[in-house]
Amino acid sequence: MSVLNTTLETVNGVVVVLPEGRLDYDAAAGFQSTLEQTLAGSDKPRGMIIDCTSLSYVSSAGLRSFLVGARAAKSAGVPFVVCSLSQSVREVFTVSGFSRIIEEHADRAAALAKLG
Amino acid sequence: MRGVPAELAGLTAWLQGFWDAHALPPESAFTFELALEELFVNIATHGAAPGREPAVEVSLALNDGEVALCLEDDGPAFDPLAAPMPDLDAALEDRPIGGLGIHLLREMMDELEYARLEGRNRLTLRKRIVS
Repeated sequence: MSVLNTTLETVNGVVVVLPEGRLDYDAAAGFQSTLEQTLAGSDKPRGMIIDCTSLSYVSSAGLRSFLVGARAAKSAGVPFVVCSLSQSVREVFTVSGFSRIIEEHADRAAALAKLG
Repeated sequence: MRGVPAELAGLTAWLQGFWDAHALPPESAFTFELALEELFVNIATHGAAPGREPAVEVSLALNDGEVALCLEDDGPAFDPLAAPMPDLDAALEDRPIGGLGIHLLREMMDELEYARLEGRNRLTLRKRIVS
């Protein structure tokens, strides 16, 4: 049973990843491979935005998939940002020190403006 | 219960049921869901000799606005609170993968306590959620 649905959209060559639900131990591997496959495709995106509007929960297993995704993006030369973090998800990002290594924007429009 | 990752979804639903039954503020469940996942997965993936499933007991208690989550397992003695703190200043490329779960709990819970009792590991976490 999966409790995370992830959809992908492309806006002006920038991939917007929208995880909906809970990014926990069960969902982390699937989310990670979605990020890796998107970055490894022949059509390399101009940037990747993880839009966390509908992300209700993230654990350290979920953080790990963000970290692996951010690293894969960096080695592919693709800017990687997150946006629209809920208060709880932001707390996890802040306490883990991830807010220092992954760029965050208030919302999707701000993230697109930065990558545009 | 069996200490296997497949039990996590049911445990999380049970925790949410506890929050509903006691009419606790929904946003305060997050830290406990996180604690339950981090500790249970830890036990299920590292808490036993190869080929042997650990047995785990999980309990929740509400006392005077404070919730206590307790996990007991029959695996080898292991104190997760003794783990070194991860390097939070490391750059993206040098970030170790892992070691973050316990750090998150240390920062987000009020109290964490480990004991080895009669061949079992017992970890208790407490946080005041209603003032």
